[in-house]
Amino acid sequence: MDLTTSPEQDEIISSSAAFLRDRLPITRIRALFDEPSNVDDAAWSGAAELGWFVLGLPEALGGVGFGLADEVHLFREIGRGLATGPFLSSVLGARVAAFAGDAALAEAIGGGQRVGIVIPGSSTLIGADGSLTGPLQLLDCEPDGLALAVAPDQAVLVRVADLTGVAAVPCIDPGVRLRRAEAAGAVPVARVTADVDPIQRRGHVLAAAMLVGINEAVRDLSAEHAKNRFQFDKPIGVNQAIKHPCADMAVRAQLGYAQSIFAAVATDEGRDDADYHAISAHLTAAEYADISAAATVQIMGGMGFTFEHDAHLYCKRAFVLGQLFGGASSQLGRLLDLPSAR
Amino acid sequence: MDLAFSSEDNDFRDEVRTWMNENAPRDRRPRELVAMREFDLAWQRRQYDAGWAGIGWPEQFGGRELPLTQQLIWYEEYARTSLPPIDARFVGLAHAGPTLMVRATAEHQAFHLPKILRGEVVWCQGFSEPEAGSDLASLKTRAVVDGDHLVVTGQKIWTSFGPVADYQELLVRTDFDVPKHKGITWVICDMKSPGIEARPIKTIEGGQEFAEVFYDEVRIPMSNVVGGVNNGWSVAMSTLSFERGTAFTVSQVQLSTSVERLIEMAKSRTSINGRPVIDDEALAKKLARARADVAALRSLTYLNISRNARTDQPGPEGSMLKLQDADLTKRVYKLALEVLGTRSLANPEEEDDSYWVDRHLLSYSSSIGGGTSEIQRNIIAERVLGLPR
Repeated sequence: MDLTTSPEQDEIISSSAAFLRDRLPITRIRALFDEPSNVDDAAWSGAAELGWFVLGLPEALGGVGFGLADEVHLFREIGRGLATGPFLSSVLGARVAAFAGDAALAEAIGGGQRVGIVIPGSSTLIGADGSLTGPLQLLDCEPDGLALAVAPDQAVLVRVADLTGVAAVPCIDPGVRLRRAEAAGAVPVARVTADVDPIQRRGHVLAAAMLVGINEAVRDLSAEHAKNRFQFDKPIGVNQAIKHPCADMAVRAQLGYAQSIFAAVATDEGRDDADYHAISAHLTAAEYADISAAATVQIMGGMGFTFEHDAHLYCKRAFVLGQLFGGASSQLGRLLDLPSAR
Repeated sequence: MDLAFSSEDNDFRDEVRTWMNENAPRDRRPRELVAMREFDLAWQRRQYDAGWAGIGWPEQFGGRELPLTQQLIWYEEYARTSLPPIDARFVGLAHAGPTLMVRATAEHQAFHLPKILRGEVVWCQGFSEPEAGSDLASLKTRAVVDGDHLVVTGQKIWTSFGPVADYQELLVRTDFDVPKHKGITWVICDMKSPGIEARPIKTIEGGQEFAEVFYDEVRIPMSNVVGGVNNGWSVAMSTLSFERGTAFTVSQVQLSTSVERLIEMAKSRTSINGRPVIDDEALAKKLARARADVAALRSLTYLNISRNARTDQPGPEGSMLKLQDADLTKRVYKLALEVLGTRSLANPEEEDDSYWVDRHLLSYSSSIGGGTSEIQRNIIAERVLGLPR
């Protein structure tokens, strides 16, 4: 038993953080705000060249062959940097293609073809044959691209062109692009069941990792502000009303990180309680990031309420990531129905 | 990264589990203090006789000096077997004993440490005072040097097992004219010394372990001073990181077991409206969230133990575990009362459900004892995040 990072993981952390800082800084959210796409093509190609989209895919399927616990460290940095673009759904999409036997598609996604994700509505259905039906929302999907739809038991890739009524709608998060659409039995181009590869489980863990990055980012923003902002001739951080929420952010960040890597390793090792830990990771990381980001807005005071300050961007991304893979309500229900952890 | 234990560790777990199942005390732990003391010491002796005393203690002091992962396994199995709490044995095994190991003379070590391991003595702590709680260094219990003795006068409070303890790790003020941290002395106090009176304080769940201790010109040999006169603050602080991450393992396994039992109870019991308790959606969600939060807390323990296994200097992360353990303990046992509903009103002495009521009442102490949650938050903010004091 060892949950400390390996030298390879330390390398993933430092190289991905440096790449995101240089090529895809938070300022890109504002720069692309009025554009139809939130993707920076050059940065996306750069990420593809680094192998980000097939990092956790087995070598036999054309991937780098790392584990989910390694991918967690990449996605934690993507979350921390609020990087724009469908990183999570593209990585999962490459897996769906690869495990469905479509090596060409997997290679294309690995090389930079993007995959967005379906946010199911209450009546959205993925049928036993993988066909997609019902009204839904699309996150970071391009009109001529692919969308990933995920359920606990299976995951499918569909063509956005096979959906009807695709229309852009404003999203709460200025860093993502949302569309409304309707599916009427859209036939998947690739389909994988959870017993072949548990896409939703991996999605929970990677969403959790991004939320951990967000929690860490707002913790650091708040701590810096608490040290540097003076009122009544003292840094505001001397006051326990500021200091204690900052401490709580640090605790939540550590808890979220610990559960994310635990769930990732449980998945890599094929433990029978991996779903339990993956859902727990997503639930806790989402709740913890949400509370921390909200507390950061408060600590920033009036600045925190402005569009100009980044605090709201973390709040909004945390909210969006919390909605993935069923959202808290359905995840709580699933978790309660599972047998207890080991 | 990996979660798998080595085959050696798995064999160790089997061995531990077998021994615990065969040797778990059959009798209920008494509530009366003297009987409780005897029960706890007998249990310690049993572990000692089987070679299980001081699993984390260095071999040179008679301990097992087990690697951290095996200590983790020991505590996990300990909690799963529902073995007696460390209570009366805590100060000796986890605080005073380790302090003696790093700061006392060989003579003191040879005299005291084997007695602690063999379950011959109970130690208590004489730190807090009515006017010195979180601000421990402001303590005022006075010790005056008189020849080869210290003469101690004053009062301590929140002294668990004070009325039945043999020895006390006692902090006294030996110099009033220097900054507060610099005039404190750590001394071994024989609780049978003339001039000591320990008065029980009844706690909210009806417990009798607590006491306030009064000292009226109590004479303590100078040779009982550990670490030198006026060096007591550093002596007291030298033990804080002894546990290296395993301190809350038992509590966490108990929390996880408790959440699972509560889920079973919520499924099998009927609420006042005639439906299964679990049908209350708000309550069901709280139970599910408790599962997730307990999982995260245990993962943090695993992470901390992994990190501490690679360093001799554990960081302030221990404060994070303590803080979250306290918050969750209070939340889970409050949730227990929600599952019990009106049954939680019953007199705890008479009902089978008394366990949960007891745990709930006890949980209030989790964010106060051993450093309040407010102090833990200060430590985390200042030492981890670098916020100003």
